[in-house]
Formats: sequence, structure tokens, C-alpha cells
Amino acid sequence: MPWIVKRIGVSLLLMWVVATVVFLALHMVPGDPAELLLSTGGAMPDAYAIAELREKLGLNRPLWEQYLGFLEGLSRGDLGNSLVDDYPVADEILLRLPRTLELILAGTIISVIIALPAGTFAAVRAGGAFDRVASSLAALLQAVPVFVLGTLLILLLAQTLRWMPAGGYVPLAQDPVRHLVLLSLPAIAIAKGLTATVFRMTRASVLDALSRDHVRTARAKGLTPQRVLRRHVVRNALIPVTTVLGLQMGTLLGGTVLVEYVFNWPGLSTPLLRAVEGRDYPMVVGIVLTVSGLFLLINLAMDLLYAALDPRISRS
Amino acid sequence: MPTLNRRTLLGAAAGAASLPVLFNPARAQQRPTTIRFGLSAWPPNLQPWVSTGASAGTVKLLIHRRLIGFDEKGEMRGELAREWGLDAQGAWVFRLRPEAVFHNGERVTSEDVKWTIEQMAAERSTAYYRQQMQQVERVETPDAHTVRLVMKEQSATVPLWFTNYNMGIVWRGSRDMNAPIGCGPYRVTSQERGTWIEVQAAPNYWVPGLPRTRTIRFTVYADENLRLAALQSGDMDMIEYVPWSGMAAVEANPRLTLATQMGPFMDILFNGTRPPFDNPLVRRAVAHAVKREDIVRVAFSGRGKVLEGMPISEGTPWFDPELARGHAYDPERSKALLAQAGHPNGFATTLLAASQFAMHKDSAEISQQYLAAIGIRAELQLVDWSTRVSRGIRGQYDLAVHGVSSEFNDPDGLSVVMDTSLSPAHGRSFGVRAPRTTELLAKGRQEFDQAKRVEIYRDMQRAALEEVPLVGLAWREQGYGFDRRITGFANLPAALSTASGALLEFAAFG
Amino acid sequence: MRRLLLPGLAVLFICLVAAAAPLLPMPDPVRQDVANRLAVWLPGSPLGRDEFGRDVLSRLIWGAQSSLMVAFISSAIAAIIGTMLGLLGGWFRGVAEFLAIRGADVVLCFPPVLLALLVVTLLGPGTATLILVLSVLYLPGFIRVSFAEVLSARSQDYVEAVRALGAPTTRILLRTVLPNIAGPVLVQFSLAVAAAVVLESGLSFLGLGVVPPTPSWGLMIRGARSTMEQAPMLLVWPCVALTFTILAMNILCDAVRDVADKRGGGGAKRLRLVDRLLPGLFPPPAAPVPLLDVQGLTVEIAVPGGIIKPVQDMSFTLMAGRTLAIVGESGSGKSMAATSIMGLLPPAARVADGVARFEGEDLLRMPEAQRRKLRGGAMAMVFQDPMSSLNPVHRVGDQVAEAIRAHRDVPADAARREAVELLKRVGIADPERRARAYPHELSGGMRQRVMIAMAIANKPRLLIADEPTTALDVTVQAAILELLADLRREEGMGVVLITHSLGVVAEVAEDVVVMYAAQVVERGPVAEVFARPLHPYTRALLAAVPDGDAEPEGIPGVVPRPDQWPPGCRFAPRCAHATDACNQAPPALEAEGDRAVRCIRWREFAP
Repeated sequence: MPWIVKRIGVSLLLMWVVATVVFLALHMVPGDPAELLLSTGGAMPDAYAIAELREKLGLNRPLWEQYLGFLEGLSRGDLGNSLVDDYPVADEILLRLPRTLELILAGTIISVIIALPAGTFAAVRAGGAFDRVASSLAALLQAVPVFVLGTLLILLLAQTLRWMPAGGYVPLAQDPVRHLVLLSLPAIAIAKGLTATVFRMTRASVLDALSRDHVRTARAKGLTPQRVLRRHVVRNALIPVTTVLGLQMGTLLGGTVLVEYVFNWPGLSTPLLRAVEGRDYPMVVGIVLTVSGLFLLINLAMDLLYAALDPRISRS
Repeated sequence: MPTLNRRTLLGAAAGAASLPVLFNPARAQQRPTTIRFGLSAWPPNLQPWVSTGASAGTVKLLIHRRLIGFDEKGEMRGELAREWGLDAQGAWVFRLRPEAVFHNGERVTSEDVKWTIEQMAAERSTAYYRQQMQQVERVETPDAHTVRLVMKEQSATVPLWFTNYNMGIVWRGSRDMNAPIGCGPYRVTSQERGTWIEVQAAPNYWVPGLPRTRTIRFTVYADENLRLAALQSGDMDMIEYVPWSGMAAVEANPRLTLATQMGPFMDILFNGTRPPFDNPLVRRAVAHAVKREDIVRVAFSGRGKVLEGMPISEGTPWFDPELARGHAYDPERSKALLAQAGHPNGFATTLLAASQFAMHKDSAEISQQYLAAIGIRAELQLVDWSTRVSRGIRGQYDLAVHGVSSEFNDPDGLSVVMDTSLSPAHGRSFGVRAPRTTELLAKGRQEFDQAKRVEIYRDMQRAALEEVPLVGLAWREQGYGFDRRITGFANLPAALSTASGALLEFAAFG
Repeated sequence: MRRLLLPGLAVLFICLVAAAAPLLPMPDPVRQDVANRLAVWLPGSPLGRDEFGRDVLSRLIWGAQSSLMVAFISSAIAAIIGTMLGLLGGWFRGVAEFLAIRGADVVLCFPPVLLALLVVTLLGPGTATLILVLSVLYLPGFIRVSFAEVLSARSQDYVEAVRALGAPTTRILLRTVLPNIAGPVLVQFSLAVAAAVVLESGLSFLGLGVVPPTPSWGLMIRGARSTMEQAPMLLVWPCVALTFTILAMNILCDAVRDVADKRGGGGAKRLRLVDRLLPGLFPPPAAPVPLLDVQGLTVEIAVPGGIIKPVQDMSFTLMAGRTLAIVGESGSGKSMAATSIMGLLPPAARVADGVARFEGEDLLRMPEAQRRKLRGGAMAMVFQDPMSSLNPVHRVGDQVAEAIRAHRDVPADAARREAVELLKRVGIADPERRARAYPHELSGGMRQRVMIAMAIANKPRLLIADEPTTALDVTVQAAILELLADLRREEGMGVVLITHSLGVVAEVAEDVVVMYAAQVVERGPVAEVFARPLHPYTRALLAAVPDGDAEPEGIPGVVPRPDQWPPGCRFAPRCAHATDACNQAPPALEAEGDRAVRCIRWREFAP
């Protein structure tokens, strides 16, 4: 499979570019991990302590030396340790990545279940009442920021009605029911934006497919409208929707920050945000590399799926 | 053996018998044996002497014991030290409790205290109190339970140093400072980095009957609204940093108790190395320009108090109602001061603030509007916290809004914010020359006579009102919210509020 | 165009209000008045005051300015640069493709918030930084969309045609490809604008957005969140403004897309429109019943300027087993007539008048369910472009089998076997293997054979072939025509053959209908019409095409657009023999034996 090999090669190259960009950008932005760590909570450290910590963390070596050291570690598959507490970056990622993935997956499932049929129906009855209502709803969903929706949900369901916990996380193995209960609100929040996007993509895609000549052919064959819709419209329209969905899922990998923050879901985005704020260089680079690697993997999978869905795309 | 000199104003410690609350063992079965505590931030690490914030302090206060702690009134009370004072030679003597043991079963001895102080003062140390510990000329251990500190320079506040939450005494055999061996009521039993920490009562804790609650589980809720929601929904039994907008709701809730203290404050800092803020007249113009009530109302939902002088708490001996209004809102005076300083038409400048924190942002927005009213057109520069710290330390700003707290309730605790001769820090004005303030702060530190100290610190306030090392904006309330059934916990007064976590050993349901 | 009007006005209104903010008599949006903090209503502040006591309405309108400016500028930058990169990448492939696509991948690899954090920390927060961040974030979306569209457009006929004409690359990209990928790019644009405003609020929430006190919707939402319980309306107003803007943007982009995309949308809905028409108003005529009897067929399309009639008062009769050709230039309405008979009119068109009796039953007033049973059964149709008319994602054998199973209750494997037989019957070699092929794996001629196989799958009595050979090579054309002729003979079908080629007509048809500008201008048996054309247009056609396999040339001018038809004879402006009388009134179709002609001077020219 030389094609796969080439793709993986390109992906590795991209990850190197990403890692380098992040590494350099992080060292260029103002803020120093040693200063920050010692200034936590408003403390005012003296200059000696800061200098000492910089020395300990190896931050006063020349940038190229730090970069080479980082690349060397990377080549051994070592993502390094956190500057803040010396915790292995890889362990942190392994612990938290599955939770973010679970959140994204749950959100995607919800949005697909809602948006695919709704988008199809809205396109078939384009301009009709359902189309108008659903399109308005989609706009509303897009317009309400996720942190507002999250706060509203918590205000209503947790603070006022006390039906649900106000965010948090319990491992599935420990308490499956509570795990799913806790998952539901952030998953809905993730699904919010995705549903609007998938709805609009589906609607546009189905509209496009509806106007294709082969749909006329299918009707000329005397197929029932349902069968025309299912086999000749939706089937074709799904191809672009699937790729957009894949792309969206990839983008969500690092894009769940607000949801994780608002619902206290201990996924990968929170430590990323915290690491950037605390200039914890190895942690940031490690997480970004993981996210980009996964993103490229999803991309690859989407290309394969695309090829499987659309026979016109053939690879040799 | 040195004899203790009782002339010290800092009295001996209360015994273990005077513990504030007694619990009823008969009801123990029905009561929850775990307190779920909502932290506002993840402790970056739990190294004992490195300052990593108040949330880390709360946890550290449970796994370590200091020489001296506080009672619920904020008065010093011995923790590891039974009593302390100056001896005839002017050295500080601490007598340790003989029953104290570390979590590994080793007795707490003077050698451990000596080792701890030396570690903090060491050349490569990053300890928060490194500078202070370097003031100790030598540590003597006349016997296993007596520590004698010979100081390079006299200071009345030495015992207060040992009350800081970054001053835990650690077993001298500890090597890994990420897992040091302490002698506090709790031990960390499990944690997930960034999410939660669980501590459980140390089986060999040496104070009978304590801690009252077996397990405390800290969960991090970085978002204040969610932290509040977690308390209201019953997910958490106790939270720190109750958001000001939610304090009324907690008070109104019959299941909950709100304990607040007016402690930390907001201020404006200056870059005194370049015009126009190298001129004290301009700084005074700023001081009189801002109407503080607006900040109290907007940033703190009324849960604060105007701060129109130097940050000395009302009700303390050092407080003077006249001086406390020394920087009262008076835009006409501001304009006159500006004109006097040679800026009759004002000038353009910048105002730095951290964007993540609403209280910084809101205070900055209001200050900006009032400064504009007297002709100071300040462009708001909202940056992330890291950049804010970095630019603060490097003096890359003109004006900055900051929120800070005194070190302790003695006015010497203000040195860290007001003594601009100290090394550059993001929470102090940069390069502002306030020589009289600095001098009087030092004088007050070295004076042991209470009456004289009161006078010195009033002079210091007068000096500071003219030299303006900082402009106070507003006191803010610091609140803990908790389940009404929890007893034994108290919010420590004023600057000590964030160190209230130490009292969790007395807290329990029922 | 009417569809564009309302959302266009709405977007214009929003933009105008935002732009006019400095001119409107409103309180200063940054002026604080803490005493009236969170007031619900105050004189001069109909929407109340925010947490700083600032006027909400004023901030909303000024906020529209900053929010929309950020959103529009960043989306526009991303759209322009992204589409350009996508165009270049998709057109030139190679290095351009690598740079465009991999560049997009690098951006996509970054978690958006991280990218924003880094850029904002590096450059400092502010409107310019925000625009930069957002445009970088949306760039990959545009690159990908335009790249994919260009790839597919590249292989389309119209692009190939323009290319073959030797047009310069930039011209092809800008004039031919760009308009055709505009639809998806516009959808992407509307999504980006909406997302930009929301992201702006998210970044403001994290403290990375617009710098206060400058009002923006994002900052308003952020600020309102903390006072949500005391003053919920503060949250509602910016969200409402945002929803309204996004909705207007979405509808506008949809409308623009539909207008840009001539194919139009929503086919299935029209199925229902037609079946509302009443069935059979006219009693069936006495025997002998013709296979297809079309009388007075008129099709209307509603356009913004009024109603046009691409087919007007068309009549012809086809007897079983015969072949009738409908001939005319592009735009004469011949295909529209055929699709209206089949009930496959595009959504915008509808049958306004006339009857089309198939074996005595009026197709035009038949319930859709009944007509559906006829379609692909007793009457079938073969389309012009076999590539686009076959579904690219299904195997051709399955598509043929589907036609069988739509009308007969046959098990799947039997249908598949029958499909292979049919493929063999239409002259496809190795039918077993070809049945498993996808349309793109077959040649043009072979695809058309598949289409024909599909059409004859249920032994139709009427076959309508709409320019079945136009899209094919010359050598293949003859073979397909031959196949059609053979099938007609063997199956005894009646065939309606739509073509612009008189050569084809001469070869296979018995009767011919000549159409010009929606009207029948001449009708009669092929031999007679060719030997003795009565209408000047027919004559011109015959004269212009000696060998009869290209678009008619040599007639000056083109068929006028439906909205520009002359009041009199529609051919008059191009007719060498036109007189003033020709321009006075529309001529009627005059019948003469089995011939008919629409010309007031036909007698003068009759040889």
C-alpha cells in the first residue's frame, strides 16, 4: 500500500510542522513558566527563586538546545514531563483523551440522529413550514453560545430543579448510570453546534442531490418517492455530509474547551487550556501533537470512507 | 537552656484542650464521614514550601502542620509549637509539642524544624519564604523539642512567618519534595491530576479527637458559576471563592451557610520608572479620580467596601478613619493635581489588566472611565494572566489593575505590596520611589512596642498617601459556602481568609 | 429573484443599522451609570441598562458594528483566500494542491482555542487580532470546499468545453469554474459568519476577544452570564440579535445559492403539486386510439418578471409502433414538452393547459401514484446525458434491476439475472462483468445502452428519447440509433425522439414536429416535410445542415428568450421573408391534410 505509506509520511511531516510551530510560538509569547508557577494565587516570589526554578527546569538553555532536546525526546516517543509538577505528559493524555473522545462521540451521535432526518425532510419540503421552523431553530442553536446554553441547562436542571448534578465526571466502571447522566448535558452542548452544522449541510446536500439528473432517471423508472429519496437522494447526499462530519469531529478534538470548562468534564481540553495559561511547554506540545495526530488519523479514515462511499474515487 | 522572656506581645499558645467544638460520637453513624469540597483551582503541585496558590494552600494546610497556626478569631495558636517567645539574648525560641509525630511514625523534633528552615534558606531553594529564612543567622537545637533562632536582624513578625501555609514542617528524611512526609491531620490517599484530590485522616495524627471528618474530597471547579451550582445542587458540601453575584443566593438558601470576610483588595499599580507616573502628584491624581462605590457594586455585586486609603482593615489598632479617607474620590482635586504636575489637559496612557478574571476586568473598565473624566485617557490592555505576570515583573506597563491580599493581619504583611524597594513583582508597583514608606515599614517591623508600632504605621500611611506606591480601590469579601450542618469551620478574618483551610480539621457534619 | 429580496433586505438592514450607529440618537454605549445598573427600563433606554449601567440598546447596535465587522471581514478574507487556494490547488494539482491542502491540514491540526490563545497572546487582544485568528481558523474550510468542488467541476462537460476552446486558465477559473462552485462556498460563508460571531463571544468569554469597553455581542453575552439570574434579559437581547442575523444570513446564502445554481431545488415537492390537478376532464376519443395524443399542451414557469411559457399549445399524435421526431434548436421547448408528458417537470415548471392521452388516459390529470406506475413501465424515457443520468454510486446492474423491481414483483436475484439479459440485449459485451461496474467505469456509448436497457426493462409501449445521442461520439451515435430502431421493430414500441439533428430525423422517424420558441411551427410525415418544407424555419434548418449531425448553423441570430418573444410571428426577426404583417399578430397553426404549418405566407412559398 504505497499510498497509505505516503499518507502516513505526509502526516508525520505535518505533525513535525505543528510541533515546531507550537514550540516556537510558545517560547515567543510573553510569560515564563517559572515566574507563573511561583506567582500562583497572587504570591510575589523573589527574583532568586525564579532564577533558581528556571535553572531547574532547563529554561535558561538556548532555544535551539531546548528544541533539539525536545526533538530528541520526541524521536524516542517521549513527550516529556510537565514543568509544573513533573507529571508525565503521556500519562495525562492517556487518562483524559478517552473522555474527550467519548464526549465528541456522544455529541456526534445525538446530532446525527436529529440533524440527518431533519435536514433531509427540510430539503424535500424546501420552503415549507418545517423547513422554516427547523432552519430558524438551527440559527438559534448557532446563535446561543455553548457557555450560555451550558449555564442555562445547569441553572434549570441542577440549581433550580435539582434533577441533575451540576457537571462533573464519574468513571463508567464506577457508576454507569451516573456516568451517563453526567455525560448527557455536555454531550447535548457539543451536539448543539454540530446539529446546526450537520442540519445545514444535509439540507444543502439533499437539495443538491434532488436536482441531479439521475434522480429524474430514478423517477422515470417509476420508483416510489420514498425509494427515490432513500436510494438516489439521501445515499448520494450522505457522501459530502459524512466528510463534513468527519472534519467536524476532528476539529472538535481540541474544540471542546468551553463545554469541558462549563460542565467540569475532565477531558483533554482543560489541561490544554491550563497548560497554555501556565506556559507548561511540554504539556501543550504533547497535547497538540496528540490532537493533530488523531485529527490526521480521522482524516485518513474519512478519505478511506469517502472512497468506499463514492465509487468514483478510486485509488491505485 | 534559655529562659523565655514574656515581654513579647505575641502570647503563648492555647492548649489543645481549648479546641473550639466538641463533637457528639453518638450521632457519628448517621453523619456523612466525607466532606466534598469544591476548589477554585487545581493546585499545580503540593510541594510544601513553594507557593502555588491558595487552593494548594488549603490542601497543604491539611497534610502539614506549621509551628504556629490561627484560631477561628485569627489569633495565633500553636500548632507544632507549644509556646514561643524571645529569650534574653534576643533569639526566638520555639518549644515543640513532644507528642507530634510524622505520618511515617517518626517523632517531630527540633532537628526536623532546623532541617526544614535550612532547606528553605538553601542556595538553590525556590521556597516562598526563602528570603525570610535567610534572615535566620543560625538554627540551634538545644534539645529535641526546642528550637532557637538567632536572627541577623530583629523583626517583630518572625512568629507570623511561621504561620504561612508554605511553612509546613517536613520530616528531615524526606527526599521527594512532590511527596514529602508531613505531620498534618490528613494524608493524600488518591488524586487525579487536574480533577480531584482525596485526603483521609492520618491514622497516627497526634491530636486526640482530630480530625473530625475522616475523608475530605477536593474537586476542582474552575468556573465560579458551576462551583456555585455544585453547592446549590448538593454535589458539593463546601466551596471556596463563592462568586459575589451568588452570595445572596447562598445566604437565602436555608440549607446553606455563607461565611465571608472582608480580606483581599483591588488596587492600581504604577510604573514609576518613566513619566508620567514617576511623579507622585500624578499618582495622587489617579488616587482621587476613581469613585470606588462603582467598583464595589459592579465587580463585587456590593459584596465589598470602598478602599480610599492604604489597605489597613477597619477595627484593627492601625486603622485611622481620617487616613482611611486620604484618597477619597475628588475629581476636582485630581484635575488640580494633574495641572500642578504639568498635565493640565491630561495625557494618554495604558491600563494593564488580566482578562480572565472578571474582577480585574470590571475594576479596570470602571477605573478607565473615571480616569478619562479627569483627562487621563488610558487604553485598556487586557492580557492573559501569564502575560500580565510577565509584564508586571518586567515593568512593561504604565498603569495596572491588580487584586491582592496582605500576607497577614499585622501591617507588616503589607510590605509585600507596598514596599516598592523589593525585587520587581507583578503585584507591586514597578520602580516607584516611596522611600519614606519603605523606611517606616522597616521601622515598624523592628519595633516591638505596640503603642510605638501603632504610631509608626500611622506615619507610614501618611507617607504612603503622599508617595502613593499603590492606589487602593475596593475591599472584597472572600466567602466560603457550605452545608448548614457542617460545624467547626470558620472563615478567618481579613488577610487570613484564604488560609482558613487549616480549620477543616475541626469541621464535620453535625 | 424575489427569494433574494427579503433576506437580502434583512441583512442589508442589519448592516445599515450597524453602520449608522454613530448617526443614531442614542446614549454613548460606553458611558457607565452604575447607579442605574441592571435597570430593566429607563426613559431613553428601552432595553434597560447592563451591569455597568450602560444603555443596552445602544450597545446592541454598536456591538453589531464590531461583531459583524469582525465576522464579515474575517469570513470574507477566509473565503477569498481560501477559495483562491482551493481553486489553484484543485486546478493545477501537484505542488499547488500539496501546499493548499497540507497548509489547511496544519491549521486544522491546531485546536482552535489554542490557535486563538497563541495568536492573541502574541499580538495582544483586539479587533485586528480577532480578525486574523478567525480568518485563519476558517481558511481550511474554504480551501477544502472549493478544492473538492473544483475537482468535480474540472471533469464537467462545460468546463471541458471551455477548455477545449482554448480559453486562458484565469478566465476559465473565474468565469466558468468559480460561478459553479459558488453555491457550496456561499453556504460555507454563511456558516463562517455565524460561527465567527459565536466564536467571538467564546473568545471574549475566555477573555481573548474584543477589548472592553468597546461593545460587542460576544462581550455582552459574556457579561450577562454572571448576572443571568438577576437580569436574564441582558442575555436574551444579544442572543436574539445573533439569531436574527444568522437566520437572515443563512436564508440569504441559500437564496443566492439557488439563484446561482440554475438547476434549482426541491424536485420531490412538485410530485405532490401535480397530483392536486383534477384527473380526466375530457372523455377519451373514439377508436382507433392513438398511443399518445397531445393536445394544446402548455407549460408555464413562474419567474420574477411574470410567467413564461416554454411550451405553448403543442399538439401531436403518435400511433403505436411509429416514431415521431420533435426537432428544434436549443431552447425551443422540446425537452420541456417531453418531461411534462412524463410528469418529470423541474420544480419551477407546471402544466398550465392541454391534455396528453396515453392510450386514452390523460397523463396530465392522472393521480401521481397511477402515473408513477406507468413511468418506467408502459412508458419509459431515455435522457440526453447518460453520465449524469445514472446514479454514480450504484452499480449499473443494480440500477437496471431496480427498474424491473419497481414494476414487477420479482426476487432480487431474478431481477439481477434479468438485468444482465437486458444489458446483453442492448449490445453490451460481457454483461455479467459490466453489470457490476459503476457508471464512471463505462464508456459514454455503453452508459447510454444501460439507460436504454433500463428504459425497455418492462417492455414499454411508449419510449421517449430525449436527444439520446447528443452527448456521444459520432461513431457511437449511429450504433445507438440503430439499437433504438431495432428495439422499436422488435418490441413494437411507439417512440418519441427529441433531437436537433435533421439527419437523425431522416434516418429513423416517420413523423416530425418542428418546434420554434415553444410553438409547433410545422408538422407532418418526414418524407413530405423534408421534400416540401412549408415553413421558412424548416427550410432554413434543412438548408443549413447538409449532413445533419451538428447544431443548425447559418440561421442568423438565436432563439429569443421566452420573455422577449415578438408579438407576431416568433421567427419573424430571423426570417428572410418576414413582412410587416408577420409582426402584427401571432399566426395560427394551419392544418392541410396530414400537414400543419404556422406561417401566414406558407402558401406563397409552397413549391
